[in-house]
Amino acid sequence: MDSDEDLLDAYDGDSAEDYYYSGGDSDVDDYIAGGDEDEDDGGDCGYASDDDSTLRSEKVYTVLKVSDIQQRQEESISHVSSVLSISRVAACVLLCHYKWNVSQLHDEWFADEEKVRRTVGLLSRPVVQFPNAKELTCGICFESHPLDQIHSAVCGHPYCTTCWKGYITTSINDGPGCLLLRCPDPSCRASVGQDMILKLASDEDKEKYSRYFVRSYIEDKKKTKWCPAPGCENAVEFELGSNIYDVTCLCSHGFCWNCTEEAHRPVDCGTVSKWILKNSAESENMNWILANSKPCPKCKRPIEKNQGCMHMTCTPPCKFEFCWLCLGAWSDHGERTGGFYACNRYEAAKQEGLYDEAERRREMAKNSLERYTHYYERWASNQTSRQKAIADLHQMQTVHLEKLSDKLKEPESQLKFVIEAWQQIIECRRVLKWTYAYGYYLPEHEHAKKQLFEYLQGEAEAGLERLHQCAEKELLVFLGDDEPQADFKTFRPKLAGLTRVTRSYFENLVRALENGLSDVNTQPACSTSISSKNADGAGKGKGGKGKGSTSRSGRNAARDGDDDDHWNCDRCTYANPDSVSSCQMCHNER
Amino acid sequence: MASSSQASLLLQKQLKDLCKSPVDGFSAGLVDENNLFEWSVTIIGPPDTLYEGGFFNAIMTFPKDYPNSPPTVRFTSEIWHPNDGKVCISILHPPGDDPNGYELASERWSPVHTVESIVLSIISMLSSPNDESPANVEAAKEWRESRDQFRKRVSRCVRRSQEML
Repeated sequence: MDSDEDLLDAYDGDSAEDYYYSGGDSDVDDYIAGGDEDEDDGGDCGYASDDDSTLRSEKVYTVLKVSDIQQRQEESISHVSSVLSISRVAACVLLCHYKWNVSQLHDEWFADEEKVRRTVGLLSRPVVQFPNAKELTCGICFESHPLDQIHSAVCGHPYCTTCWKGYITTSINDGPGCLLLRCPDPSCRASVGQDMILKLASDEDKEKYSRYFVRSYIEDKKKTKWCPAPGCENAVEFELGSNIYDVTCLCSHGFCWNCTEEAHRPVDCGTVSKWILKNSAESENMNWILANSKPCPKCKRPIEKNQGCMHMTCTPPCKFEFCWLCLGAWSDHGERTGGFYACNRYEAAKQEGLYDEAERRREMAKNSLERYTHYYERWASNQTSRQKAIADLHQMQTVHLEKLSDKLKEPESQLKFVIEAWQQIIECRRVLKWTYAYGYYLPEHEHAKKQLFEYLQGEAEAGLERLHQCAEKELLVFLGDDEPQADFKTFRPKLAGLTRVTRSYFENLVRALENGLSDVNTQPACSTSISSKNADGAGKGKGGKGKGSTSRSGRNAARDGDDDDHWNCDRCTYANPDSVSSCQMCHNER
Repeated sequence: MASSSQASLLLQKQLKDLCKSPVDGFSAGLVDENNLFEWSVTIIGPPDTLYEGGFFNAIMTFPKDYPNSPPTVRFTSEIWHPNDGKVCISILHPPGDDPNGYELASERWSPVHTVESIVLSIISMLSSPNDESPANVEAAKEWRESRDQFRKRVSRCVRRSQEML
């Protein structure tokens, strides 16, 4: 994946920098996720696997609040200004130029200070001087001004207050480029420092400028990104090198650090962005229109048939009356066609092949739309369920838990399993949701993979449904005012058990998707066992289509090895009789 | 900000200066006496170039926040040149990040530029076209590939511009 390589490159470039922060790190240790809020994050409960080191066992990122960012900036500035013995303003200019990469700055500065000064515009002395002048001519408006109205950067080029203000305002409103502002004289590269900008800019512009300054710290570095949640001002620093990008901000928003969409493990970023694009794409509307409407034969506007009878009347101004079936004018549908509501020309025309092309297109669009709708509905309803579960968890933590604890005379710490169940539900809904995007893009011809996937997904989904039901419905009994009928003592192990079982189902699902469902390709022996499991999984899981192909491949996989008159397709693993030379399933050559 | 009035004052001053002490190679005035933001400039084809002896008219339009933003310049006379039409030279590009990445910030717009410095840049553009970012692709192609053809067309433009006087 391209982005991975970029990130790794970035890591190489930035790694040395850590040395300089070794002192500062302790200040932000409090925010290193992995401490307290570990428990709020259902994700970790889900994957905290005992021995599998490829799964996340510790967090590899740090959430930075605005105050942390400012503090880190402050540290870098003081550090640079003391090590290089330059002013703080100069240190800021240098750091902005070097994208806050302190080590690179040091290296280049000590290698060739003059060169760095030249590129950055930190002149050691003025290039023009007017020692005895009482008045100077502004280089922009060419008016003479008394000295107190003339300002200049280190270079000494004189401009009046008004012109400076205009110059600075324009540059701040042009965007973050204002952090690298230079003297207006084109031949002069002297930098205009923060001190001058803060002295001359309006309050509003000053605020913008400081915002750009803070932003530059996060946006210029490759290992920090803003939390994308609306209104959240935190940033996340990611230890590059890890390939698990799910992070959770202090604001509780979970997102993928790599693509900044919401967390979508185990589905990769490419699939997610394709899916999101597809969901928003106008093309789906077009497909719908194509599948469910016909153009008016006269004015060509698409018409949806929303009533039973075939006698259509287009909306004004067209008002054309026609037959839905044959799209012919209704005036033709007299006695000749055997009564107004029994058009037989449709079938006749179809037999002659007249309507075939349009009809076929409509049919195809309808099928592809149905397939998409299947995945989209499940994706969307898991999303809704997850939102509901988040609200339920909140309700549980803030209201019900205390009530329950009073009622059952149990300390709240003994009821933690309820919270854990809800956290598990939320995380599982998220994973499940994204597996539907994964399923949509899983190639049709990879039957074995598809079956394994649908089997694992089906198992996981069934487990989750049991867990969700138990947490949602069965718990209600204990929350009511009546004396509970059921025994809480039996409820506890049931819910905790379901949580555990569901977790392990999802771990299997995540692991399988993350290694690209490779079990079916690389280990035929393994595929046999999975396929045989598959046969009972399919009963629970998907619709008729899945079931049909399941049994077929299950049978073939079972034959694999003990029958010599078959060969297995390299691509889809389908077992073909020796008499054919290309796969009967995917047409791959033997 | 009194930016609009700052712009008027500055343009007025430049107009007065140019009337008082004209610069060789061009003449400048307002299109409409009441509008300081639209200038009509006549550029005399610089000696020792293909354009020598021609008179080329251009309109300069200044934004309200001049001198913080650059004016636009458009030739109204026919002038066969890779950068003709809406004049595209680096000092007329707003400062900041260059979207194409090949102009230094120091070559781009800065408030210290005046009508005079802009027109002088255009004159120097006439003698050394920048065929890397041409506005008139056809002219640029001809300039690069069949210089004779290019020369002929320019001479025709020069002659026509003299007849127009």
